[in-house]
Amino acid sequence: MQFFKHVVAVVIIFLCCRICFPLNLLAVEGGEYIAIRKEGIGKIALVLNKLATPAKEEPNISKRLDVIIHDGLDFTGLFTLISPPLNVKDSSNSENVAINFSALDSVGAAVYAGGTVTNTAGNITLDVEVFDISGAKLLLRKTYKGKSQQLRTIGYAFCEDLVELFTGKKSVFGSKIVFVSNKTGFKEIYQCDFDGHGVEQLTNLHSIALTPALSPDGKFLAYTDFSSGQPALSIRDLSTGKTLAVDKRGVSIDPAWRDNKEVATTFSFEGDQEIYLVKTNGAISRRLTYSKGIDLSPSFSPDGNKMAYVSSRNGQPQIFIQDLQSGQTSRLTFSGRYNTQPSWSPAGDKIAYTTWESGDEINIFVIGSDGSGLMQLTQKSGENESPAWSPDGRMLVFASNRHGMKKLYIMESTGQNQRPLLQLEGEQYQPCWSLFRE
Amino acid sequence: MKKINAIVVLALMVTAGCSSQRAVTSPEVRQSQVTPPPPPPSPVTKVPSGPVTPMVPAAPSGYGFDQWQTGPLGDVFFDFDSTVLGSAAQEQLNQNAAWLEKNALSKARIEGHCDSRGTSEYNLALGERRASTAKEYLVRLGVASSRLETISFGEERPFDSGQGENAWAKNRRAHFVMQK
Repeated sequence: MQFFKHVVAVVIIFLCCRICFPLNLLAVEGGEYIAIRKEGIGKIALVLNKLATPAKEEPNISKRLDVIIHDGLDFTGLFTLISPPLNVKDSSNSENVAINFSALDSVGAAVYAGGTVTNTAGNITLDVEVFDISGAKLLLRKTYKGKSQQLRTIGYAFCEDLVELFTGKKSVFGSKIVFVSNKTGFKEIYQCDFDGHGVEQLTNLHSIALTPALSPDGKFLAYTDFSSGQPALSIRDLSTGKTLAVDKRGVSIDPAWRDNKEVATTFSFEGDQEIYLVKTNGAISRRLTYSKGIDLSPSFSPDGNKMAYVSSRNGQPQIFIQDLQSGQTSRLTFSGRYNTQPSWSPAGDKIAYTTWESGDEINIFVIGSDGSGLMQLTQKSGENESPAWSPDGRMLVFASNRHGMKKLYIMESTGQNQRPLLQLEGEQYQPCWSLFRE
Repeated sequence: MKKINAIVVLALMVTAGCSSQRAVTSPEVRQSQVTPPPPPPSPVTKVPSGPVTPMVPAAPSGYGFDQWQTGPLGDVFFDFDSTVLGSAAQEQLNQNAAWLEKNALSKARIEGHCDSRGTSEYNLALGERRASTAKEYLVRLGVASSRLETISFGEERPFDSGQGENAWAKNRRAHFVMQK
């Protein structure tokens, strides 16, 4: 255990840069995607035409679906949405209304999307077509069906396909964010859609529930719960609703999933605060840390082979990385005296964390998992805490008190476009963004 | 506030006549010491080497007592991001140990608390270390471990909800709650 006591000053870790995260496997058929954008710059200029609806039907559904799709695409930050020109449809032939590609081209659009929506006794059918404008080439034609109460799901299914068409990757659609709120006067766990819609209260413990963490497959929720009198690890099976309280003397702090079968958390039942791996049945499978002092807040590389965590072994908290196979540990952060809350990116190449600066400012930073490329994402905006990556790695959700109370915000992984995620009474903290559900 | 702390500490040292006690070593120093792994629970605090002369106060007042602590056992306070028991804190624990010795059936819960600065997960860990530091000090003075339980509230249950060092200093404490 010698290496735990001697922190190597700089160790270049060849981490998971080349690891093929399952995201790539989800790319559209053939492994190719439509490169409409010019070599990685700018956004896709998209005309999203108003959805047509049969004459007799109420236009309400199509208008609502228009808004849902528009907002969904806007959320991704991938598109510039251009208003359709008046003559977008060439109706000279009333039997077969054609898309006026030259008119679309003249407003600077690269992609056209349009379609029709019908409502048959509450059953919604959305037919869409997506064209590459310059070549008048059909890129996607698809039908989406659902009940009228599922309009958002229907609209987002189309958004997801559209993003995948252009990026070759899954996007945020369908993902969930779990978080803590004190809305009721107690700290309880909540869940919402990736865009802040559909807020749902998951716990009703009338105590203090903290640090929710979803398993990669979204089937389990782990969190810290004070309702037994001690901060203890709880593991909830979301399909059955059954919750397992892992009963250990001392505390449990800040769980994080290594994979779908093991969650890591800090326990103190052996005296010192150390990180342990726990199975979903509550049994401890392995102790991971052996350093004197505080060890907490694990976050795992996508392959589960490495763990970023916080350790106070040198005095104030810094972020370390441990290789779980060799046990080798190296210090990741050298800038800032109080670095906590590491969050490993889904692509494996980056780690987001927070630095408590002098004064009352906490800022979010991103650093390469090899220690390179340190980048500050927030500044001069109060306390910005608990960064968590979106499943596609394009965004981060975090908590900030920049406007008084602590609320959830999102931003792009570059720090751009910082904006509130949702409006909910009370304060919100400690968000965790789900990975993709299959 | 450090100056005020220092004055308070100095005053207590003079009035209590405990200047022979030495301060507990800082965590940084402790961590750099090469010591064989101690039997659990591992000692976090060093006990004063000299003989302890406990005093039971006539009335609960002074350092460890305020609007949030009116029970027989006084609270102890910590510097920012610290689990070190200063002289005043040690003196309070000496008093608490003396009271517990006279009231041998009583049990107490020690709650570790932190101010709102820093991040909440770390503060939950820090709070536990404050509570267990206080407990281990008492155990070394002869209080049975089974009479003292610890819990951490981190920054979740502040006593003074205000901002600023006056409020923060009140929230960085090991808080004694009598059981039963």
